[in-house]
Amino acid sequence: MRRENLTLLSLLLPAGAFFGAFFLLPLARLFLVGASGEGGFAAYATIITDKNHFASLIATLALAAATTATTLIVSGLAGVFLQRNEFPGNAALVAMLTFPLAFPGVVIGFMVIILAGRQGLIGDISLALAGEKVVFAYSMAGLFMGYVYFSIPRTILTVMATAGKLDPRLEEAARTIGASPWRVMIDVIIPGLKPAFISAGAICFATAMGAFGTAFTLATRINVLPMVIYTEFTLQANIAVAAALSFVLGAVTWVVLVAARSAAGGTVAAAG
Amino acid sequence: MRRRGPIFLAQLVFTLFVCAFLVVPVILSMLAGLTVNYFVGIQSGLTLRWVGEVWSGYRDTIFLSIGIALACLACTLVLGVPTAYVLARRQNALARALEELLVMPVAVPGLATALALIVTYGAVGGFRTSWVFILVGHVLFTLPFMVRSVLAVLMAIDLKSLEEGAASLGASFRQRFFHIVLPNCRSGILAGALMVVTLSMGEFNMTWLLHTPFNKTLPVGLADAYASLRLEIASAYTLVFFLVIIPLLVALQVLSQPPRTKSRAKQE
Amino acid sequence: MLKRLVLPIAFCLTILAGDRDASAQGRAICYNCPPEWADWGSQLKAIKSNLGIEMPSDNKNSGQAIAALIAEKANPVADVTYLGGIAADPAKDAGVLAPYMPKGWEKIPADLKDPGGYWFTIHSGTLGLFVNKAALGGKPVPQSWADLLKPEYKGLVGYLDPTSAAVGQLGVMAVNLALGGSYENLDPAIKFFKQLGANQPIVPKQTSYARVISGEIPILLDYDFNAYRGQYTDKAPVQFVIPKEGTVVFPYVMGLVNKGPNAENGRKVLDFVLSDASQVMWGNAYLRPVFADKLSAEAKAKFLPDADYARARPVDLKKLGAAQKAIIERYKNEVN
Repeated sequence: MRRENLTLLSLLLPAGAFFGAFFLLPLARLFLVGASGEGGFAAYATIITDKNHFASLIATLALAAATTATTLIVSGLAGVFLQRNEFPGNAALVAMLTFPLAFPGVVIGFMVIILAGRQGLIGDISLALAGEKVVFAYSMAGLFMGYVYFSIPRTILTVMATAGKLDPRLEEAARTIGASPWRVMIDVIIPGLKPAFISAGAICFATAMGAFGTAFTLATRINVLPMVIYTEFTLQANIAVAAALSFVLGAVTWVVLVAARSAAGGTVAAAG
Repeated sequence: MRRRGPIFLAQLVFTLFVCAFLVVPVILSMLAGLTVNYFVGIQSGLTLRWVGEVWSGYRDTIFLSIGIALACLACTLVLGVPTAYVLARRQNALARALEELLVMPVAVPGLATALALIVTYGAVGGFRTSWVFILVGHVLFTLPFMVRSVLAVLMAIDLKSLEEGAASLGASFRQRFFHIVLPNCRSGILAGALMVVTLSMGEFNMTWLLHTPFNKTLPVGLADAYASLRLEIASAYTLVFFLVIIPLLVALQVLSQPPRTKSRAKQE
Repeated sequence: MLKRLVLPIAFCLTILAGDRDASAQGRAICYNCPPEWADWGSQLKAIKSNLGIEMPSDNKNSGQAIAALIAEKANPVADVTYLGGIAADPAKDAGVLAPYMPKGWEKIPADLKDPGGYWFTIHSGTLGLFVNKAALGGKPVPQSWADLLKPEYKGLVGYLDPTSAAVGQLGVMAVNLALGGSYENLDPAIKFFKQLGANQPIVPKQTSYARVISGEIPILLDYDFNAYRGQYTDKAPVQFVIPKEGTVVFPYVMGLVNKGPNAENGRKVLDFVLSDASQVMWGNAYLRPVFADKLSAEAKAKFLPDADYARARPVDLKKLGAAQKAIIERYKNEVN
């Protein structure tokens, strides 16, 4: 047993050393740097005391929450549908939906401009239909659309995998006692998908909280926390404030992830 | 019969709409990279001129990104597979805590991780300016994905009995690891590998701060192109990016298909 | 399976090793040398062919460049930096520049260089309206700052973010001085940008030349040299307008980074940007070279008439540098 423990420990060593040296140590230093500015450790409280920072924290939380909710609904509907129904072209549709997985935020930002920018598709369509050009790429709505855009691929595979494991007998039982398709969905399918929703939702939320590239490209007067951090950094290199804010952002996100995983129970080893 | 009813149709239309939402901008962007003049539109004609300019100006970034992605894969394999094995063998509270810890770089914004690295190792001259600096960030970010992918497969198979069986036949730990464990989590390794490579190729948040003008990766080059070059060039650049990444994504999608065999039963 | 990965990994390592070859020749790193801005692309090529130094382009704006320089102070990555005039003194105060007086230093007018040798002007540009006529959708080309506030231009106006781009800060000061403010009193500018905010402006953080050419941003507060480039080099339907209320001519400076890794090459580059060859190139890129006689008649002919330029005043760099912090703070707090 002892021997085995030693072997296991030695297997963990490379990853442990790497992680310690390149993540834990730097983060600890960052924490100290965050406190090295004029306000000292009070810099960590500015996220609540400073009106702009607080507003951007709330905006980011709201955006991430809205993105997660919308994405889960969309992925849930589309994912369950694709998992359960065999028809020609099914695989192609799945491929199309997981496609944007690797796109950097910059590309997503550009997609948003293509759809909702001044010369965007949506603007053209609305001009033809309603006579007025709808342009929302440079507002919170555009950012929201971009976030949903990159979140759908991240969540849909998880949802589909879990949907594939749902026990069809439960639904059949529900139908035989007369439940309508709507009730079947609410009472059987959605609870069955709960672990997928929680784990995929957590990743979706975390990504949305920390996303930078999209806002950077669309960068207008959108005040999400990663942009505020970046602005502080480029504002005469306010590294202390940038560090403090980054730390808080990371902590908030991590807490949400941990809470979600314990809600889902056990080691939810979901991919993606 | 019930399947093809109005509910099926509604769901199909919805799904098609979502697909269109994701795919149409990509197609438009690819077209923009091939048109002579974006403002005029497709009437101005098609050309490969912009793709050519991207290739001549940004070829290095493409190779560097691919190189870093492959190096990242090598690192996550060496670091991640043994870690997943240990976590699968010891499924206790400590193991869960370790897994939680590993996920931290995904939760902490890329900006923060990059800032932390610069603040700590920025003074180490040679390290700061080399591509290895970028690699470190990428490995931190992608490691949890490899670990979780392999862990999922390992948890689905009865690892303990397999190993005990082999041990009882006289196999050493080394033999067990390489001949029993690895082949059995092959699908997890493959799915994890593709995930790592695609994530590394697209990583921007950290790389934006970690790079130096000599070490631009593809996403950083893309951001530059969108900022200061003609839209057609930036779009052509995006087109090249798609061409590199799509085969990988297709392979990822194929390999992570929901279960047909029991070894992938709980992969996701 | 692992064996199958050996080949691709070896391949990538060879590519990465190939990168090392670049270090054998001369290298230098510049912060804030975007290829399409002021035609740095041609300058970088000229540096390569004339000096044998490989200097890649870099798309940081002035604020990002200074931030990176400060963050890397212990072990700098860059050798030289290019900055908007407004960021020159702040960079010096942050301790990231080292004094160096390149060849030709004496010929630079006193108010366009730092007395201690920390930075010097290489060229200037005039701020105004960079307009894509075709993207206006039939509306008239705006002729004044006040025009931008009209509802007909809703959603059509853009300006670079003053919280990080020098152009943004300079835009604020240009508007300020044109509307009756001073280096100390920023009220007219803040009031203007607040009002502009109601007109749904687009506020990018980095050079947005491409977006004007593509028509995404039809009216951008930007420099004359960018507009002329669009008009004459890229043959786009754009034009430059010097607003009726007036504007300012802004210098752009360069400086040697303190303790840069390739300081010797950095010095050679700085010598080069003041040389005749380089100054003529700046002129051909539609900037006003600091040695004004190097602006060729051909290039000058493409500028707007001198009568228009009479409305553009030179700027007081010292006061401008001192005002930078106030501009950023007030914009951040009152407009953003």
